[in-house]
Amino acid sequence: MTAAKDDFAGSLESAADGGIGRRRLLALTALGLVAAPGAAWSAAPEGQLTWAVHFSLAPTWFDPAETPAMITPFLLLYALHDAMVKPMPGSAVAPCLAEAWKASPDGLAYEFTLRTGAKFHNGEPVTPEDVKFSFERYRGTSASLMKERVAAIETPDARTVRFVLKKPWPDFLTFYSSATGAGWIVPKKYVEQVGDDGFKKAPVGAGPFRFVSFTPGVELVVEAFDGYWRKPPPVKRLVFRVIPEEATRLAALKRGEVDLAYSIRGELADELKRTPGLTLKPVVIQGTFWLYFPDQWDAKSPWHDQRVREAARLAIDYKSISEALTLGYSPITNGIVPDSFDFYWKAPAAVHDMAKAKKLLAEAGHRNGFDAGDYYCDASYANLGEAVINNLQEAGIRVNLRPLERAAFFKSYAEKKLKNIIQGASGAFGNAATRLETFAVKGGAYAYGNYPEIDALFAEQATELDVAKRTAKLHRIQQIIHERSVYAPIWQLAFINGYGNRVGESGLGLIRGHAYSAPYEDVTIKKT
Amino acid sequence: MKQFIVRRVGYSLLSLFLLSVTIFLFVRVTGDPTTLLVEPGASPEDIENMRHQFGLDQPLWVQYWLFATSFVTGDLGQSFYYRTPVLELYFQRLPNSLQLAAVAMVLSLLIGIPSGILAAVRVGGFWDSAGKTFSLLGLSLPQFWVGLVLILFFSVYLGWLPSSGSGGILHLLMPAFTLGWYFAAAHMRLTRSSMLEVLDSEYVKLARLKGLPEALVIGKHALKNALIPVITLAGINLVVMINVAVVVETVFAWPGIGRLLYEGITFRDFPVVQCVVVLGGSMIIVVNLLVDILYAYIDPRIRLES
Repeated sequence: MTAAKDDFAGSLESAADGGIGRRRLLALTALGLVAAPGAAWSAAPEGQLTWAVHFSLAPTWFDPAETPAMITPFLLLYALHDAMVKPMPGSAVAPCLAEAWKASPDGLAYEFTLRTGAKFHNGEPVTPEDVKFSFERYRGTSASLMKERVAAIETPDARTVRFVLKKPWPDFLTFYSSATGAGWIVPKKYVEQVGDDGFKKAPVGAGPFRFVSFTPGVELVVEAFDGYWRKPPPVKRLVFRVIPEEATRLAALKRGEVDLAYSIRGELADELKRTPGLTLKPVVIQGTFWLYFPDQWDAKSPWHDQRVREAARLAIDYKSISEALTLGYSPITNGIVPDSFDFYWKAPAAVHDMAKAKKLLAEAGHRNGFDAGDYYCDASYANLGEAVINNLQEAGIRVNLRPLERAAFFKSYAEKKLKNIIQGASGAFGNAATRLETFAVKGGAYAYGNYPEIDALFAEQATELDVAKRTAKLHRIQQIIHERSVYAPIWQLAFINGYGNRVGESGLGLIRGHAYSAPYEDVTIKKT
Repeated sequence: MKQFIVRRVGYSLLSLFLLSVTIFLFVRVTGDPTTLLVEPGASPEDIENMRHQFGLDQPLWVQYWLFATSFVTGDLGQSFYYRTPVLELYFQRLPNSLQLAAVAMVLSLLIGIPSGILAAVRVGGFWDSAGKTFSLLGLSLPQFWVGLVLILFFSVYLGWLPSSGSGGILHLLMPAFTLGWYFAAAHMRLTRSSMLEVLDSEYVKLARLKGLPEALVIGKHALKNALIPVITLAGINLVVMINVAVVVETVFAWPGIGRLLYEGITFRDFPVVQCVVVLGGSMIIVVNLLVDILYAYIDPRIRLES
């Protein structure tokens, strides 16, 4: 414990000595990255908290090098490992193993200063060589994109790592910090010693919890790491128990067999809410849902007329749908970019006005409504489709629901084979630019057409190094999409969870857009 | 006899080959697994990389050739989801499935055989009707419903048993009963019909005419013969319990092969589904082969006829 306190004091000193300065220290304090004297770290870790997880945990997620394009592995990464920079409470790009960084004025280099005192679970210090090794070893999502754009990684001294880019890339930090697992650091010596398979069997990281045991299909057990640089976790042991069936998870939560349960939906969520001693905790994730009108570039289609697209937007009763399907916890953000992303533009509130929708349709020449063809959706969200279709029918937009199995749906969507109306969604990582590139810009994987004004602005922002100017351009693109009703956004999905009365801080919702409890060193057991 | 065995082994290998081709093609008809392993809206480049990693960008016959040649060397591939060898996954789960299946089988036999005997002996009476109702419920009530009701009653309401997971005898009771009830019903019905047939046979009538006590007639003379088909069915059912207790293992979070299969199907983890089906099928083929050989050994007419 004393050692941990010393480490913490050491890191504070080095922050000051290293020229970070008073302002930065204040900023770090504001971010919750340092705590006030006498706070939780002074107590020895104690007790156990158990999570009921809704899917089977896979050892591939113990290794940041294999992070796929999904949020699931981050459930474990936040416990076992640490990143140079990562999303933390209050900041999407917070200093972690790197206590500071700076970009060169030409945007061709990013220099990170390693935190002193940061250690792996085996006691080895985190070094620039580990950072370089972790990046070079990375083979998960967007690995080829990152490696294509990074020309070299230099390690000039014991605390500095410099990424040299081939050309300016304003999104480098987004990809390095949150959109991939490339910035999560593993110990080079240990990995070389045990190999990839050995690492998955006994992972060693620099995170707040060390690996204890893993029983496939049953549970993962981790234990507090006293030497964690930020603070030793107050809870001694975390257990992630796999319970795939939703009703069983709720039963286990009610009995106190588990302390937190992920993904409790519909009527079960209602029951959880009504059960004394249990707390329902929705978390809004980065998954946005929308209607897309792929025929809007076809002059013969009714969807070509902006008034028809606006009518569809006005017809949707967003609030009632959110209440019916997710107890009202999915917010109506009225955009395709999640509100947790960098460069997010807050759109005006969505309006449900059936009379106006009908009026607009009449003005567009569809006084008696029109047959709008098919409404395609991922079959697992067909219930959302049914609710939206009811609204559209009421306005006079008659469509047939065509739920497709998930893989077939996204394949057809990407191959641009769908027509009329598509109920789309994305939970992909990134920022506003990456989301827009995929869905709204010419050549985008899911863009069926384009608007030259949007394309021009997008090309300009891609090389813009001035953050304010870039923000303005990306905001303008989102505004154009809104004004032209390119999309009819529906909601940003809420992931509903619950916890019992032993839990002090659940960690749920502390990091914006993150689906699971994190950071785990902030999770506490209630004092009795 | 030797020729008979060689022929039967040949048929078994052919069955195994056909099973492997069928499951190989069948899982691929369900669609591309890569879209289920990334977030919706992931970049096509990520999806393509994943397809390449899994070898799904290769022609179908190449994929089958790789699967078949690896299978011969004892390698059933790597799970798409877990990224570990599927055989390793299978054998990690096998002890749990064996444990569950063994207890469920004992329960099903303990319930099914006595109730079947009772129903046959008291045919048309109360016990017969009770047995029929019991078996009808066991066969018709969905296992997930039975499981959830048990959890609600014994875990949430009474607080006697843990709701899910593995670890001790208490964890086993509810899943074993849920799984065993379905099979108990099948065993009960077969015991009843088999007993009725045997009780109507000449040698049982003779035993009764000789004045043997009824308990001896039923327990010694009738039951032994009536149990032969029940034991044969129980053998096959045991293999089924080990490999496809999908619903029970999912509801009770029991870490067995059935849940592995469920996960494999959910994520279109082709190697996992192929492994479970091929190994499960192999068990059934081997059991049948042994039974065939045993029958042929006991009864020379079988080997001569074939």
